[in-house]
Amino acid sequence: MSNKTTSSLNESAELFKLLVNSIKDYAIFSIDLDGFILNWNQGAEYIKGYSSNEIIGKHISIFYTAEDVANNIPMLNLEKARTNGTYESVGWRIRKDGSRFWANVVFTALYDDKGHLHGFAKVTRDLTQQKQTEENERMANSAMQEKIELQLQISHKELSDYKYAIDESAIVAITDPKGIIKYVNNNFCKISKYTAEELIGQDHRVINSGYHTKGFIKNLWVTIANGKIWRGELKNRAKDGVYYWVDTTIVPFLNTDGKPYQYIAIRADITERKLAQENLKVLNDTLEKRVDERTAQLEIANKELESFSYSVSHDLRAPLRAIAGYSSIIEEEYSNILDDEGKRLLNEVKHNAQQMGLLIDSLLSFSRLGKKELRKTQVDMNLVLEVVLKEINAGTNHHAEINVSSLLPAYADYTLIQHVFSNLLSNAIKYSSKIEKPLIEISSKQENGEVIYSVADNGAGFEMDYAHKLFGVFQRLHSADEFEGNGVGLAIVSRIINKHGGRIWAVSELGKGATFSFALPPQ
Amino acid sequence: MNSDIIEILLVEDNMNDAEMTIRALKKAHIANSILHLKNGAEALDFIFGKNKYAGRNVDNKPRLILLDLKMPKVDGIEVLEQLKSNDSSKTIPVVVLTSSNEHPDIEVCYKLGVNSYIVKPVGFENFTKAVTELGFYWMLLNKSSE
Repeated sequence: MSNKTTSSLNESAELFKLLVNSIKDYAIFSIDLDGFILNWNQGAEYIKGYSSNEIIGKHISIFYTAEDVANNIPMLNLEKARTNGTYESVGWRIRKDGSRFWANVVFTALYDDKGHLHGFAKVTRDLTQQKQTEENERMANSAMQEKIELQLQISHKELSDYKYAIDESAIVAITDPKGIIKYVNNNFCKISKYTAEELIGQDHRVINSGYHTKGFIKNLWVTIANGKIWRGELKNRAKDGVYYWVDTTIVPFLNTDGKPYQYIAIRADITERKLAQENLKVLNDTLEKRVDERTAQLEIANKELESFSYSVSHDLRAPLRAIAGYSSIIEEEYSNILDDEGKRLLNEVKHNAQQMGLLIDSLLSFSRLGKKELRKTQVDMNLVLEVVLKEINAGTNHHAEINVSSLLPAYADYTLIQHVFSNLLSNAIKYSSKIEKPLIEISSKQENGEVIYSVADNGAGFEMDYAHKLFGVFQRLHSADEFEGNGVGLAIVSRIINKHGGRIWAVSELGKGATFSFALPPQ
Repeated sequence: MNSDIIEILLVEDNMNDAEMTIRALKKAHIANSILHLKNGAEALDFIFGKNKYAGRNVDNKPRLILLDLKMPKVDGIEVLEQLKSNDSSKTIPVVVLTSSNEHPDIEVCYKLGVNSYIVKPVGFENFTKAVTELGFYWMLLNKSSE
């Protein structure tokens, strides 16, 4: 070997040494045949924590875990390198500070010029970071995996819960796009009374009731074929011929092209509701028919009543006129041959005929009220009272003091309300006529949205036990020889107030006067 | 009695009413010749000279017709309708005397052209008074078209 060669060799060895020394990511050092460290680079110091002074001459087992040392792993590794020329292993190693790191280690057997093994080179790479990253990734992946699986499990559980819930509560069928049944649940079989085997492969015509129009069914198909949900009530026919009603929702399931690839029909049994509705309709129809019949009957009755009152007014008056007339003629022509008793009896005949005439007139006006339409206007009750008082004062002899407070206006039929006051006031005068100082007070007040008018007297009054009889036709609480009257007046008054949507009542105590009040609703 | 010349024609199916009406009119010296017919058909025959009254001089018209409404066969409304729709009879004053104070009759009668509408009072005094007054008005006060 020339000097030049030696020097260049030496140079390259030196260069190599520098190079090795400067590598920080790899611990590179050589060991002798027995495993004792011969040299140490910077990377080794960096990775393992020992300075070259500390470590040179030490045995490599110092880098191994106690477990590996116990298993003679260091020497076995060397042995493998000796046998194979090189040996690579991965495992835990110990730093100077005792901490572990994950290392990739390559042993290479070193031979001299003559081919004799004289030691080993050991290159160690710290894989901790990489391992950690890998570990993290693995951990992350498996966590993700677990999460996904859990989610899947939950989803699957939820899905089966939903299916269970739907199967329990609803009637479910799945069909293909042509309407061929692919699946039915128990409820479907229960209500249709077909088995699943009988249904699958059929279309829904098997349960067609024939109730719905072609247009209705067509609309259903057009809706779902266009990918829209159809909702409606369907009448179906079970295997045994019994009809049932289902509230139906058909949901099309669309493929990526937006075309339905299957339909799910979810139905609820509404047969009972439908039957109830049908019954109700029948009942309503019956009721309506009955109302119509009753109305017709009522109209007939009204017509009869009209012709009856016409007859009464016409035919009962004629004989009365004759009785009264002939009595008068007798009185005129034959009074010279009648004694006083004869004249008295004749007078009674005349008087009664007249009473009956008045009674007929009252009855007629009472029945006429039923037919009369109300003509409501704003009525100044003070004016009404003025007119009524004038008429009464002109037509009857009385000694009553009549006090009228300022009255609130009413929304009423002028003529009829005048009749009411006229009647109540006449009654008050009549029933207080037998006391020394009759006092009649007329007033009004506003209460709960109504206006209440009252006519109070201090006359005979009545027993409240009989108050309910006051307003009935022909009902009287006094005999005719006590107070004249035919029992129609208050019936007419009550009918007028009722027609106005108002109320009438009376309060009294026998011998202490009576107060008649009526309430009228506002406009 | 010369049935041709009649001052008042009374058409009334109720004999009592007729008797009292005639008595009242006579007592008040309102009319000398009163013809009482008992139904509407007879009244129309008399006015238009038909059937029983064929050949009667129909130009001799009564000066007043007192007409009851409710009569058998041809009722007062029909009589009124025919009288008032015929040129020869429509100028004769017609007073309806009725027992009924039901409104439809009043309205129908006035639409048909009745000259007065009187509801017969039940009391004899009032009845006499009413008949006397209406006779007095139509026979003595009212200027007829002829």
